[in-house]
Amino acid sequence: MENWTQRILLKTTLLGMLLSSASNFALADATDKPLIEPDIHPQIVDESLIDTENFELGTFVGVISIEDFESSLIYGARLAYHLSEHFFFEGNVGFAEGGETSFEKLGNVQLLSDSERDYNYYNIGLGLNLPGQLFTPGGYTFNTNFYLVGGLGATEFADDNRLTVNFGAGYQVLLNDWLSLHVTVREHVYKIDLLGEEKNSFNTEVTSGLSVFF
Amino acid sequence: MFKWKSLNLLSFTLLALVQFGMPSQTWAGGSWFWNSIEPLAQVKVVEPFVEWRTGPAQGYPVFHVSEQGEVLELLVRKTKWMKVQDKQGHQGWVAISDLLLMEDGSGELISIVEPRFDDFSTRRWEAGLMAGEFDSTSVNAAYAGFSMTNNLSLELWGSQILGDSSEIRILNINVLHQPFPEWRFSPFITMGAGKLFIKPKTTLVNQSSRSEDTMNIGLGARYYIDDRYFVRMEVKDYKIFTNRETNEEATEWKIGLSVFF
Repeated sequence: MENWTQRILLKTTLLGMLLSSASNFALADATDKPLIEPDIHPQIVDESLIDTENFELGTFVGVISIEDFESSLIYGARLAYHLSEHFFFEGNVGFAEGGETSFEKLGNVQLLSDSERDYNYYNIGLGLNLPGQLFTPGGYTFNTNFYLVGGLGATEFADDNRLTVNFGAGYQVLLNDWLSLHVTVREHVYKIDLLGEEKNSFNTEVTSGLSVFF
Repeated sequence: MFKWKSLNLLSFTLLALVQFGMPSQTWAGGSWFWNSIEPLAQVKVVEPFVEWRTGPAQGYPVFHVSEQGEVLELLVRKTKWMKVQDKQGHQGWVAISDLLLMEDGSGELISIVEPRFDDFSTRRWEAGLMAGEFDSTSVNAAYAGFSMTNNLSLELWGSQILGDSSEIRILNINVLHQPFPEWRFSPFITMGAGKLFIKPKTTLVNQSSRSEDTMNIGLGARYYIDDRYFVRMEVKDYKIFTNRETNEEATEWKIGLSVFF
């Protein structure tokens, strides 16, 4: 008799367990398929949609000392392409006007006509960035670059167009990721034969500028 | 020289437009107007952690770290760095090499095709600056090139030669053949044709400007410093077809740096 009751009890519990597990399976099947399909599709990164900002365009203004022809205001534009975090290609155009030589002032003569005093240059070259940071009072931190530049170009002055070597250094403060301030000192060297014999003309330029990355 | 005055005016109007004409808030998120319509691309950190720098270079300090599983939004790219933003709105710069170890929404590692020197399909466009000598006078040159096949590319050249007696400008179209494009040190042969513009200096006897047709053949080599940029050197022999009795010849050598786009 005892065996019978045991057997019945065991059978029912076993049946119950089987049933419940079966229903669990059924439930699991149901939860696999959500009632509401999410409105999100797996997003694949499309690099063509990511904006790249390797170009930098800017303007500058400053002073250039034109050998024998006083110091003048210079202004111009600069385009840079960043090859890597270290190197960049750079192109500049600059415009100034030569002053008078001491010979002209003392002798009351004109060596150059007004249009011949226009001083224009272009140059293309390579730059090296050395990154750093600037900490200002008030707890602000700016990324900076100290940079070295050098290149070749041409200077148009005194009705002549001369191959010009330029080299210099600058300091750039990045106000944010797209806007920056520059201070640059650059030497322009070219040969000139205006005052008789041919000689090297050294023209030092100090400029400050603003540039945007795009 | 070209018309400085008109260039002067044009460039400054353009610059003024670029620098001051745009409302600053469109730039604020690092995304420009077309990006703000698209949702920003998202990636998930898979590696144990990824370092954030304050700027896009190794020289800037690490100021933050994202842990495994964090989702980052991609804002803007500069050279080999990506500006990212996390859920809390922090922004910083992550190396592309770290980014390539992250997953996108599909659970796959993200793929960004970088230019590779040995796979021309990833680097169709190139440009470079070069300097050297043309008939023992200094020459400055710039070029842009397009790779048509693994071996062949087409190049457009502009050169300026500033001599004591004259200024010469040359415009050339060249075809370039690299027999072994997959070598890191890759030699090439090239040939082309173009136009040569000669402007004598006014301090000399009154000569008028003239232009001549020219053809050139040359050989050179490219050395890939990186997958992205390379040193290039070349020697070209120019034949200049004058309308005088004899044609002229000139030899030019140049060295420079080029970059793939």
